[in-house]
Amino acid sequence: MDFELGPAGETALRLMFTETPQPALTRMLLEIENQAKQRFGRTLTDSVVGYTTLTLFFSASALERDRTEAWLREQVEGMTLTDIADHEPPEADVVLPVLYHPSVAPDLEWLADDRNLGIDDVISLHSDTVYFAYATGFAPGFCYLGSLAKALRTPRLSTPRAAVPAGAVAIADAQTAVYPCESPGGWRLIGACPELLFDLNSKPPSRLAVGATVRFEPVSESDFRALGGVIP
Amino acid sequence: MNSLLIHKAGIASSVQDTGRFGALSIGIPPSGAMDRPALMSGQHQLGHRNDEAAIEMAYADFAATLTEASDIVVTGAPVSLRINQRPVRPAGVHHIEAGQTLEIKATNQGVYSYLHLSGGIITALQLDSRSTSPREGIGGLDGGFLKDGDTLPVGACGKTTRPADPHVTIKHQRTVLALRFVAGFQFNDFADEAIKQLLAEEFVVTAKANRMGVTLSGVHLLSGITALYSEATCYGAIQVPPDGNPIILLNDRQTVGGYPKPGAVISSDCLRLAQSRPGQRVRFALCSPDEADRIGWLEQHYLETRLRDIH
Repeated sequence: MDFELGPAGETALRLMFTETPQPALTRMLLEIENQAKQRFGRTLTDSVVGYTTLTLFFSASALERDRTEAWLREQVEGMTLTDIADHEPPEADVVLPVLYHPSVAPDLEWLADDRNLGIDDVISLHSDTVYFAYATGFAPGFCYLGSLAKALRTPRLSTPRAAVPAGAVAIADAQTAVYPCESPGGWRLIGACPELLFDLNSKPPSRLAVGATVRFEPVSESDFRALGGVIP
Repeated sequence: MNSLLIHKAGIASSVQDTGRFGALSIGIPPSGAMDRPALMSGQHQLGHRNDEAAIEMAYADFAATLTEASDIVVTGAPVSLRINQRPVRPAGVHHIEAGQTLEIKATNQGVYSYLHLSGGIITALQLDSRSTSPREGIGGLDGGFLKDGDTLPVGACGKTTRPADPHVTIKHQRTVLALRFVAGFQFNDFADEAIKQLLAEEFVVTAKANRMGVTLSGVHLLSGITALYSEATCYGAIQVPPDGNPIILLNDRQTVGGYPKPGAVISSDCLRLAQSRPGQRVRFALCSPDEADRIGWLEQHYLETRLRDIH
C-alpha cells in the first residue's frame, strides 16, 4: 500500500495512505494507533485518526523522530487492507432515534422537493443505511458518518447558519452527522436526535468514536418528546 | 475561601493553565496559555508546583479585588499595574490586602498578559485541566471568557515567593518576525508558485487574530489543491483557505481541518506570533525537522534551567 510518512509540526508524525477512505482503511489506522499507544505509553500524548491519516502527537522533547518513524514504517509495511476483516455488521453499534419532521428540520421539505422525492422517501433513504464513523472533530463529539445515499447528497449552505441546535441531524456531500452541541453550521438539517451525544461526565464523553457503525431510527413526535426531545 | 471579584474583565480574559492533553480524538483542542513561558514564569515566582491556573488577558483592561489577602504576579505582555489607585512597578511578587483594588492595563506592546494569584485559580478541573476552551464551552468559569461581575475561587496563599523573573517573550519586537516552519502535510502538493511566494514574500498580522489562530495578509497563496479529506491539525499549522490568506493555527484551533497546509511553524516562533499585534511584519523560512528538534530542546532546557523547581 502506498503511504506518506512525515512530520506534522515539531512534535507530531503523520501517516497518510493514498487509498480512498473505506472502513477497512479506518480499521487499519485504528489498529496502528492502538499499537502505537502500547509501544509509546505516556510519551504519546494524543492521536487522531482522519479519513486516510493517523497523526501521532508526542510530548515535547520526547519524540525520537528517526526511531519512531522507522517503527511506524515497519508496522505499516507489514499490513495490507485484506488483513483487516471488512465484514458488514448485521446491526449497527449505535442506533440513534431521529424525528424527521419540518418542525425540527428546516431543510427536509426543501431536500424532498429538490430531489422530486416524498418526505417518506428521504426518511427511508437516510435511515436504511448503516453508516461508518470516519473521523471526529469540528466540535466535541461531532462525528463524520459515511456514506450517504447518492440521492440525498447535497452541498453545504453557502452561508452557514449562526446557530444549529444540539441534536440536529445534518447532511453535506456524502456525509451525515449529528450536531452534539449548539454551534454555527453549514450542513443541511433533516432531523433531530433527542439523545445527548456528548457529556464530559460520561466515560467515554462521546457516544460516537471513529470506527463505530451507526443507524438512525425514525421515531414519532410523541416518542421524540418522551425521549427528552424538544419541539420549538 | 479566597475569591477574586472581577469588576472589569476586558475583551478576552480567561482562566488558563498549560492546557490539556489526550482530548484531540474527541474533538477538544489543548487550549492553555498562549504564552506558556510567561505562565510558567508566574507559577515559578509564586512557588507553584501543580500547574496552577492564572488569568490570561488579551490587551489587558482588568480590575478586581480579593476577599482575602494574597500574593500576585503579572507576567507576559508588559502592563501598567495599580494597587488601590497607586501605580507600582509591575515586575515581581506583590502582596495584596483584602479589598484592595487591582488594576491592570495593557501598554503598547504584546497581546497576552497573565495575572497569577498565590494558590492559583481553583475552578473545577475538566479533562485534567482548568484551561478554558470558549468555543467548546469547557473549563474555566462555566467554559467561557470572563465577564464583569464574575467571581473566581482562589487557592490558599502559599508561603514561597521568589525574586522577579526577568523573562519576557517579546522584549524587543523585531521589525520582521521570522516564522520558521517544518515542511509537512501537503507541502509537496502545493503549486510551486505558492511555495515560492510563501518563502519570498512578506506577510502582515491582521486583526483576525485570537486564541484559535492568527490570519496573515499579503500575497494570496493559491495552493492549487481543491479537495482534501479532513485530517488532524497541529499547533502552528499553516492553513491556506481558498481566499489565499494563511492562518497560523494556535491553542484553540479546530482539531481537524480540510484546508491545505504546507507545514507548521515551530512553537517558539508561534509564541512570538501570538504576542504580535496587527501590523507586525512576518516572513516564513524553512526549518528542517532536526533543527526544529534542536531549537525545541534548547528552549525547553533554557526554561527548565531558569525555573528549576517547577514541572
